[in-house]
Amino acid sequence: MAFDPSMPVLVVDDYKTMVRIVRNLLKQLGFANVDEANDGNAALNMMREKNYGLIISDWNMEPMTGYELLREIRADDDLSRTPFIMVTAESKTDNVIAAKKAGVNNYIVKPFNAATLKSKIDAIFGEAS
Amino acid sequence: MGQMERRKGKRKTQSNSVSEEIVALLNTLRELAAIRTTAEDAATRILDSAEGLLTTKDDAEKAEEAILSIMTACSFHDLIGQRVAKITETLDQVIATSLGDDADEKAGSSVAKRPDITLEGPALPGSSQDQAGIDALFESKR
Repeated sequence: MAFDPSMPVLVVDDYKTMVRIVRNLLKQLGFANVDEANDGNAALNMMREKNYGLIISDWNMEPMTGYELLREIRADDDLSRTPFIMVTAESKTDNVIAAKKAGVNNYIVKPFNAATLKSKIDAIFGEAS
Repeated sequence: MGQMERRKGKRKTQSNSVSEEIVALLNTLRELAAIRTTAEDAATRILDSAEGLLTTKDDAEKAEEAILSIMTACSFHDLIGQRVAKITETLDQVIATSLGDDADEKAGSSVAKRPDITLEGPALPGSSQDQAGIDALFESKR
């Protein structure tokens, strides 16, 4: 996948604090076009209106979780190739494996730091970011 | 089934229920301890970074690193929020059980909604995977 810092990125989290943190970290990494959604449903609607180059999503949200969002995206022919990073406090082995099986590109456990986010984005887009 | 056997069965069910409540309350105490640790870790990280910022303010790169560290430390809000939600849910269930509500039915409806995944929220220290463990898991499952 080609890295383009102008590509739209969608951050999905029900905690405004987390959205601000991720948005600021992305800005430091050169991403200027960042949108936000506070649950999976809202994110899915936004994705059907706009092409996003990367989704960074929490897991535990209502009414639609990040895992359900991931499954919806992977089942949708138009959206299925969108890179998806899960950023979550869920660290139970079974859940990590379930996310991997559902097609998540990378997985970050909270609390995390800027270097971890960068390394996971690099792993998806190569070292260009 | 005789009356005596029914009583024994009821006592056993009540005993199981009490044991489950005690385990839930003990986990709640562990959650409270984890909240204290999370808040303390975040405060330490913020203070360390802020102190670092004072001594390295002329070094732009190190200053930026300190600011990013302060920002990410603020994720304690999310983690503490999730732990408090777990505690509230546990106490709600214990109170509902004590009052004779059908807590099992409530739990059943939640399970029916999402049968394949049980969310646990932030793990208690030492009880789950850290980032290195998850990375290894990802590598091994590729």
